[in-house]
This record gives sequence, structure tokens and C-alpha cells, in this order.
Amino acid sequence: MISLELSIIRFKDVFKKYSPENVIFSGIDLEIEKGEFVFLTGPSGIGKSTMLRILFCAERPTSGEIWVDGVALSSLSNAQVPYLRRKIGVIFQDFKLLSNRTIFDNVALSLEVIGLGKKQAEQRVMQVLEGVGLKGKMSQYPLRLSGGEQQRVAIARAVVNRPAIILADEPTGNLDLQRTEEVMMLMEELNARGATIIFATHDERLFENTHRRVLRFHNGKIRI
Amino acid sequence: MSLAILCRRAFFDLRQNFFGQLITTMVVSLSILIFAFFSLLYFNLQDFVDRFGTELGLTIFLTKEAPKDRIPYLYQKLTDLSEVEKVTYISSEEAFRRLEHFLKEEQDVLEGVDAEFLPPSFEVQINRAVFQLDRIKQLAGEIDKWPEVSKVQFGQEWIDRLHVFSGLVRTIVTIIGILLLFTAAFVVTNTIKLNVYARKEELEIMRLVGATNMFIQGPFLVEAFLQGLLGSSLALGIVFAGYSFLQGFETRFELLRGMNICFIPWHYTFAIIASSVLLCVMGTALAMRRFLRL
Repeated sequence: MISLELSIIRFKDVFKKYSPENVIFSGIDLEIEKGEFVFLTGPSGIGKSTMLRILFCAERPTSGEIWVDGVALSSLSNAQVPYLRRKIGVIFQDFKLLSNRTIFDNVALSLEVIGLGKKQAEQRVMQVLEGVGLKGKMSQYPLRLSGGEQQRVAIARAVVNRPAIILADEPTGNLDLQRTEEVMMLMEELNARGATIIFATHDERLFENTHRRVLRFHNGKIRI
Repeated sequence: MSLAILCRRAFFDLRQNFFGQLITTMVVSLSILIFAFFSLLYFNLQDFVDRFGTELGLTIFLTKEAPKDRIPYLYQKLTDLSEVEKVTYISSEEAFRRLEHFLKEEQDVLEGVDAEFLPPSFEVQINRAVFQLDRIKQLAGEIDKWPEVSKVQFGQEWIDRLHVFSGLVRTIVTIIGILLLFTAAFVVTNTIKLNVYARKEELEIMRLVGATNMFIQGPFLVEAFLQGLLGSSLALGIVFAGYSFLQGFETRFELLRGMNICFIPWHYTFAIIASSVLLCVMGTALAMRRFLRL
């Protein structure tokens, strides 16, 4: 089913519950426009990560409909899910890097998956690593890098195949103030290039003085 | 994904997870080694029982009245039977000579006895390839009905004992073989499962960046194929080395001569390798199943 709306992400009456007592969303309606940068906030365990997991189809909602880039998620078969995920870059608090692969190989993984030629992939990885300031460390292994550097590698991996949407789940949760600022600048840059960003965080300082939309979870609903 | 890319990724993974792959291959190898040694024992026992049965052969005694000109006809008739390997005609005179030789110094007791008092006979050697105890019994019964034949002897008692013994051995060996096979399958699949679990983060990340199930599974299945192939080939190689070593002993030591140790039949060897490969591939596919869901 194709949505005719301009929004890149749309939630319509979405419910998510794990049990009758454990209700995460109770009828969420939401629209996020193409190129928008939104913050998703609320205390830990309120459902921020669940919302992101539903968007990249790691979980399914209990009821309701969600459209991502015009595609209704309920219409996607399991075999089609990987193709949707290629349109979405995901960044986690714990980086999720492969410790036995070099920085270059970690970033190249996203391109290997879509079957991009070796030369083209090499060029693209170098370009992205240069963008996050890690070109000089591409043959090192993740555990040799600082937390901030590892998160930059994770960001490089998430954006190297130029996804339309970036989902960031507490990406600064493990970083000090200076590294947090670096990550925020990178995210702003990606947004400026056209990516739609949903940034989940419980740290209110990150959007204190922002003009961005802030979505707050409260009792299974979202308040803007 | 082309085969070349698939193999390149599989070899890259093999290099990256060399220790885990090595452990799995060794576990496959050891499990198959135990089973293969047991198979070697089984086939040698089976071969021994078969050989023993054929060596007993049949002795067909003819009536004294059987016309001499019927002998070539009977000889041909016996030779034409598919179960028969070799037929030797023993005339009354030859039988008498053998008796004299057997009695040695006491052959005086035969004095005045005509050679014709012993009936002529055929000694029949059974073809090993078609040896079947029940068929030999049936054959002896059929030959016994020929008008020129007075009696067919084939060590009935021995063959019956052999029949019971080989049946018992076969049952015990089959039960132990099945148990061993299950143990090997259990150990191998669990080792594979541990190996896959150890790489679950890698699987999760690949799914995250949009890899299809085939893209994720492909290299794992190639690795499993190689583990099964290498593990079982190594095990069978060790068993073959052991067999060659024993064969060397056989030619050097008088006591072992004539034992005729045989190796596991080739088609069975290939079946072991194929089963091992299948076990590893299926084990990997099953272990990965839960990581490939949404």
C-alpha cells in the first residue's frame, strides 16, 4: 500500500503491548516530514527504543499502521524487510561494531550487503571516514579507538549507503560532553544533506535551545 | 550474490574466526573418527563371518549307481549355478587315496577293500559375493533331490551357529552404531550451535544493515560444508592409516597372516563423508534459524 502523504514516516493509531499490563503505545498518531530532525525523549524504559525498533522492523506493532517512505510496514513480508532496512541507518548507544573487523571493513559492511562494486565501495568508505575524521585509522580495530571514535565509526556505517532516514538510539549515552558535541555536529551535517533524523535521548540538554521538534513520551502517547 | 563473492566471504570469515572453526572441525573429526573405527570393526567382523561360511563349502556325494558318463553333465550343471565359485570332482579312487593318506600307518585296515566302496563326490566352493546362508541351505536341499546324488553335506551345525552368531553381532553392532551416530550428531550440532551463538552479534549487525538471509547464511553454510568435508576426511584418513599399519603387521607376523583385514567399503566411506557434510550444513542452518527471524 502506498501513502500519498508527503511525510516520510507516518504512524496511525499504533498500539504496542507485550502483555495487558505492559502497554508501551496506546494509539500513537504521528507524522515526520522528509528532511526533518526530531528528538524523541522520555525517561528510560518508556518506549523510545521500541519505537525505533518498530521503524526498522525488528519488532511489529500490536495494531495500527506505519508508513516508512511510502511503504506500509504491515504489507512487508519478512523477505522484504532487509530492503527497507537499506533505506534506514541505525546508530546505537553501544555502537554495535564488529571487534574482529577493521574500521574500514565495519563501514564497508553496509555496502557489501547491497552488492556495491569493490572499487566504488572503497571510494565511498574513504569519503565517509574522511567526513567523520577517521580516515587515518581505517586499518585499526574498534577496540583500539576511544568511545567517541567508535561512535563516529558507527555513524559512518549508518550513513555510507546514503539512507533517507537515520535512527539514533541514545548515540551519546556513553560519551563525554566534548564527544557528544562532535556527534551532534555530525548529525546536524547529515540532516543538512537531506537525511531525516529521529534522535532518541533522555538527555534534555541536547535539545534545550533547539528549534527542532521534540516528541515526548507520556503514558503511551506522544506529546509535541 | 555470486559464488565467487560467497566463497570470498566464507574464506574471509574462516580467517577471522579461525580458532572457532578449527575447534568445530576437530569435534566433527573426532566424532566421525569414533564412528569410522567402529565401522571398520563391523565390516571386518562381517567379512570374517562371510569368509568362514564360504570356506565351509558343500560336499555332494553321488550314488554308486550314478553312470560315469553323467559326471561331466553334473559338473557343468554345478558350475553353471551362480552361487558356485569352484567345483572339484573327487572320484572313488581319489577319495580312497585321501583316506589312505589320512590313516597313514594304520592304512592296513583298508587291505582287501576295493576303492569303489567310497562314493564319488563333488567339492563345491561357494561364491563369496553372493553368499547367503539361507540360499545355501535351499541350494543343498535342491541338489539333494537330483537322482544321481545320495547326500549333500555342508556343515549344517556350524552354519546354523554362525547364522545365530552373525545375527547377534549384527544386532549389537547396529544398536551401538546408531547410538554412536546419535552421539556424534548431538555433539557436532551443539558445537556448531555454540560457534553460531558466539557470532550472534555479527549476525545481528548484518541484519541491521539490511543483509538478506541468504547473504548472512551463505558463508556460514560454505564453512559448515568445509567443516563436514575436512573433519570427516581427516577422520577417515586416520582410520585408513591405522588400517594400512595393521596390514603391514599382517604381512610381517605369522599369527596375523590370513586375517585379511579389509577397509570400510568405498561407497560407505563416501556415505560417511556425505552424511557428515549434511549434518554440519543442517546443524548450521538450524542453529541460525532463530537469528534470521525479524
